Amino acid sequence: MTAEAITHPSSAPAGEEENYLNHQKGLVSWLITLDHKRIGIMYLVAILVAFLAGGVFALLVRTELAAPGHTIMEAHTYNKMFTLHGAIMVFLFIIPSIPAALGNFFLPIMLGTKDVAFPRLNLASFYIYVAGTIMALVAITIGDVDTGWTFYTPYSSRAADGAVVWMTLAVFVLGFSSILTGLNFIATVHKMRAPGLHWKRLPLFIWGMYATAVIQVLATPVLAITLLLLTMEATLGIGIFDPELGGDPVLFQHFFWFYSHPAVYIMILPGMAVVNELIATFSQRAIFGYMFVAMSSVSLALLGFLVWGHHMFTSGMSEYATMIFSALTFLVAIPSGVKVFNWTATLYKGSIRLASPMLYALSFIALFTIGGLTGLFLGTLSTDIHLHDTYFVVAHFHYVMVGGTVFGFIGGLHYWWPKMTGRMYNERLAIVSWALVFWGFNQTFFLQFILGSQGMPRRYYDYLDQYATLHGFSSLGSYILGVGFVVMLVMFLLSLRNGVKAPPNPWGSAGYEWMTTSPPHPHNFAEDPFMTRGPYDYHLASDEELFEGFPGDFTVSEAKA
Amino acid sequence: MNNRIVQNMAESLAKTDKMFSRTSQSVAVREAPLASNLVPVSLGRLKKATLSTLTLVTMALASCGGDPNGTIQMPPARSTMAPEVDWLYYFIYWMSVVSFVLIIGVMMYFVIRYRRRPGNERAAPTGHNTPLEVLWTFSPLILLWFLFDWGFTGYMQGVVAPTDSREIRVMGSQWKWEFTNCEGIVETGNLTVPVGEPIKLIMNSTDVLHSFYIPEFRVKRDVVPGMYSTLWFEATQEGEYQVFCTEYCGAPVGSGENNAGHSAMMAKITVVSPDEYENFCAEGPPPPAECEGREGDDRMVCWGDSIFHNPGYACYTCHNGVSAPSFNGLWGREGVMMDGSVVIADENYIRESILRPQAKIVQGYNNIAMPPFRLSDNQLDAIIAYIKSLEE
Repeated sequence: MTAEAITHPSSAPAGEEENYLNHQKGLVSWLITLDHKRIGIMYLVAILVAFLAGGVFALLVRTELAAPGHTIMEAHTYNKMFTLHGAIMVFLFIIPSIPAALGNFFLPIMLGTKDVAFPRLNLASFYIYVAGTIMALVAITIGDVDTGWTFYTPYSSRAADGAVVWMTLAVFVLGFSSILTGLNFIATVHKMRAPGLHWKRLPLFIWGMYATAVIQVLATPVLAITLLLLTMEATLGIGIFDPELGGDPVLFQHFFWFYSHPAVYIMILPGMAVVNELIATFSQRAIFGYMFVAMSSVSLALLGFLVWGHHMFTSGMSEYATMIFSALTFLVAIPSGVKVFNWTATLYKGSIRLASPMLYALSFIALFTIGGLTGLFLGTLSTDIHLHDTYFVVAHFHYVMVGGTVFGFIGGLHYWWPKMTGRMYNERLAIVSWALVFWGFNQTFFLQFILGSQGMPRRYYDYLDQYATLHGFSSLGSYILGVGFVVMLVMFLLSLRNGVKAPPNPWGSAGYEWMTTSPPHPHNFAEDPFMTRGPYDYHLASDEELFEGFPGDFTVSEAKA
Repeated sequence: MNNRIVQNMAESLAKTDKMFSRTSQSVAVREAPLASNLVPVSLGRLKKATLSTLTLVTMALASCGGDPNGTIQMPPARSTMAPEVDWLYYFIYWMSVVSFVLIIGVMMYFVIRYRRRPGNERAAPTGHNTPLEVLWTFSPLILLWFLFDWGFTGYMQGVVAPTDSREIRVMGSQWKWEFTNCEGIVETGNLTVPVGEPIKLIMNSTDVLHSFYIPEFRVKRDVVPGMYSTLWFEATQEGEYQVFCTEYCGAPVGSGENNAGHSAMMAKITVVSPDEYENFCAEGPPPPAECEGREGDDRMVCWGDSIFHNPGYACYTCHNGVSAPSFNGLWGREGVMMDGSVVIADENYIRESILRPQAKIVQGYNNIAMPPFRLSDNQLDAIIAYIKSLEE
């Protein structure tokens, strides 16, 4: 204990428990920190700023689309807006959201270890993320990035100014941040698990992070190479994708989706990973079919590499390729279904508490199911031909990316907020914001399924009058969604300012991360933990472990003196 | 109401029978060796049994596949392909509705039934049920295989055009569609086709990616620079149908009503009776809208001017006095041909030079071989009027 006190001089105020927030003070101590928790918090702040920016662009896009014709901006400006919305949401928000923010914070704690395997690399990956963000800002400031987040050639490689090059290089740099986080997680999961934490006890959140990390490490380099080739074509005139220079534009689509389809799983697997924890905690039960759920994450990660061609059924691939990609795409439905079935089965004979994180988890199941089922229309060849590149696709991937990943992320943020900040939040406000977000989201995007099946193409600045009503209601929904997020922001800020002090285990979870103080000790646990039971072994957890410090709506034992 | 449903179901049943017999034969019937190679898998009797069972289930659920007047979800079905796509769409739709209601219904029931109450703070430990896991892991495969097979068969029909299709060239460019119809008549922003005849579009792009989409026909295909892509359809009803560009292709900088770019890259398909189409091919398209309201010569000169400047014909690229004789002052001039003969540029000379350009070539202009242009008589008159007007 003395040795520890010497290496880590504490600045915790007298009478307050030492934790990762108070043991060192000052901005510099944050900027050069190697503590995964502080890096996680820095990531969290950064991605929330990105989410806010992407959200503002989304509302501008929806406002323009609220009525046909010119509403608030010109077509060219609109094209930049939807490009920025997509690029920011995908590359700056969703991809890093759960792994880099929540994952960084909780992966080592849930493994019962002090930090990730390579703390310096972890900090480096954060600064690489910042560098990529700055490059993206440069791109936005110096010119016109209106290619869509997909950068399809030859439109992108023939762009007149250098802004598109800056943007692709920004994404190139951001990719390295993702790769390094993935590497770090793989090494940490393999080598740094606490004694007693064997693979079959691994929290399902960790399984999800692990599967995600595998994709990050294997797929992101392909995107990096592709964007580099694109940059070479745009700046040096080397013909790779542009037919005028002897290239093939469909080749770019293959390369791009070889990354970007697995990237869909970089986005959704962490969402599923969080939901596992939420369902288990708020049903007080182990996830039904633990190994099936764990393996479904791994198999999604692997299958994700084999289905990129389903983005290109109308592109002019050979019929053989089309057939194979369609067949493989249907296989993805299997592990996704396994998860949904097992989550539902977990609820059976549970002790279910509908706290705000659980509302997000249940919303996730419903919205992800809609996202998954509508995927069947798109994996099926003849119906995809009609629906491809219409609003049906826009609605489908928003149900998966927002209804799935973002709901998972927000649910996780609510769930772990007391652990990260040491404060409780106002549950009533949380439920109000959940209701607004849930309603607003569905109003915005469910109508877009009908717009799409009626033939409304995506990325349209203007549209025919027959689509006006649905577009109007959809835009209205997006404002409700926006208000929901504002209420949530206010709720979290209020919690930071005057939230009730959080007990170590406010939700009564058997998860390892709740076995330490809130906020956690700088070394995560005051003593090195030894895992004698699994993270979902509620029947082995004592009443004291589960109900100590429960905030009071159920009779629990007195807090330990 | 009930009668209508029964009637719909009866019609649907007939339609489905037809459809299934077609899906099993059509590929071979259409004389497409590629396609028949591509359907190697036949589940034989099992498939037939599954099909008929699922057909009955579908029958009970869907009542609106391929409605020619459209439904709340689908635009009017106006091509031979559309009803089959709609059938599959509604099959997946009802399957999804049932799955969703089951899953979410069970979930909601559990949430209410097992909510935390005093005495229920501790849940029962989770058990294992491997047979259940195996069941719900592998049983969906059957349904998924069925969907794949149905979708793929429909897709192949859309890919392989009947061999007797009428071929039409389509050129996409930022931000307009151009069609070369009737083996030579160029239309911009509108394509006239006959009803009840397979039409095969051979498409490419002059600049960036585009995609050609007709919602009412349920067809779509990307239009790619540097390669040809094809799409075919057979319209089942006369009328005007919307064409959209569905691959993002940018927009010009600046404001203005015509600056919507990608979202304004639309065209119409005008489906007419075979007689009207024949007439159209003989007469050619009517004069463009900007010439409406003008009279006599003035109208013809305007029309000829628009043909001369139509990028689909692109007369102006060669007829500049360098590659080919300029039209300025051409009318009534004497010219020396390659064979030494002297010809006066009159109506007959101009007509011949458009329809059979190689018949008489002016000395000094033999570097470029002009292709014949199949213009209608009215269009030829317009061009002649236009050249006459340049002489004054």
